[in-house]
Amino acid sequence: MYAWLWRHLPGPRPVRALIALALIVGVIALLMLVVFPWAEPLLPFNNVSV
Amino acid sequence: MSQRPERGNGGRQATGHRAGYLVIRTAGELLITAGIVLLLFVFYTLYVTNWTSAQLQRESEERLEQAWDEQDGMDVSAEAGTDSTDAGTDSAFARIRIPAFGPDYRYTVQSGVDADHLEIGPGHYPQSALPGEPGNFGVAGHRIGRGAPFTDLDELSSCDALVVETATNFFVYRVLPFDEEIDGWESIRQRRPECANVPTLREAGDGANEPYGDTVGRRIVTPDRSDAVAPVPYREVDALPRLEQAALITLTTCHPQYSDRERLIVHGVLTQQVPKSQVQDDYGQLLEQLGEV
Repeated sequence: MYAWLWRHLPGPRPVRALIALALIVGVIALLMLVVFPWAEPLLPFNNVSV
Repeated sequence: MSQRPERGNGGRQATGHRAGYLVIRTAGELLITAGIVLLLFVFYTLYVTNWTSAQLQRESEERLEQAWDEQDGMDVSAEAGTDSTDAGTDSAFARIRIPAFGPDYRYTVQSGVDADHLEIGPGHYPQSALPGEPGNFGVAGHRIGRGAPFTDLDELSSCDALVVETATNFFVYRVLPFDEEIDGWESIRQRRPECANVPTLREAGDGANEPYGDTVGRRIVTPDRSDAVAPVPYREVDALPRLEQAALITLTTCHPQYSDRERLIVHGVLTQQVPKSQVQDDYGQLLEQLGEV
C-alpha cells in the first residue's frame, strides 16, 4: 500500500519525500482536529457527571 | 522497491506467490497504521485536550476576574455585559481552590455540566445549591484530559479544605469523615485540629436510616446515582426541609481513572464563611488563617 503510494507520487526522490511528509502531517491534523474530537465523546472513558 | 525479481519457473505460480505476498504485506501495513492511529488517540486525550482546555480556562479566569473587579468598582447599573471578548460557552460564576493540591490550585466553576462546560473547567450541577447555601453544591470535573482538574480527587483525606470563592466570600468546606472513621470520630477530632469543626452529620443512634446516613467523605457509586448531588445525598429531594439541610459540597469525577464505569464522589461540609474583605481579598491570608501554610 505504502510502496504503491510512493511509486505514484510525482517528481524525483526529495520532492516525493516532501510530499509524503506533507501527507502525513495532513492526516495527523485531520485526526486531531476532526476525527478524534468527534469520536471521543462516543467512547466510555471520560463521563464524569452523575 | 518497484521491481521485484521473479525467479525460477516463472509464469502462473510466481504471480500467485506475488499476489499472496501483496495481500499479506498490505494487511500488515494496515495493522501497523491502526496501531499508530490508536497511539495518536491516546496522545490526543491525554495531552492535546489539556492544551486547549488550559487556554479556555485562562480566558475564563481573566473574564471572571474582570467581572468581579467591575462589581467591586462600579455601580451595577454601569453597562452590564459590555465584554469585549466573546464569552462563548463560558459561564464561570465562582472559583474552586483545594489547598491540599497546592496554593496555586484554582479553577473557575462553570454553570452547567455539559461537555462544553467541562472542557473549560469544573462545572456546577444547575439544580444543586449555590455556594454557602443549605443543600448540596454539586460540582463535576474531568479526571483525565481536558485540564483534568479532579485528577487527584482520590488523594483527598477527611477534613481537607475545599474552598469555593465567590465575588464576595470564601466558603470553606471540609471533606467529611470517611466511612471507617465515623465510629471513632470524636477521638480523631481531638487529635487533628483541622477536624475541629467537621461533624459526622449523624445524630445519635439511627445508623443508615438517618437523613445523612449514607453521606461520608468519599464514595464510589454507579453512574446512575444522580442523587449523589441531591440536597440530602442519596435521599429524596424533599427528605428534609430546606433550612434543616446541612450546607454540603459534592465533587464528582469518573472512576476508576481512565474509565467511566463508576463515579468517585467526595462530600464536604461547610465549616466557615470568610468575607473577602476580612482577608483583604487575599487567598494567601485565608490559607494562613486556616493554618494551611
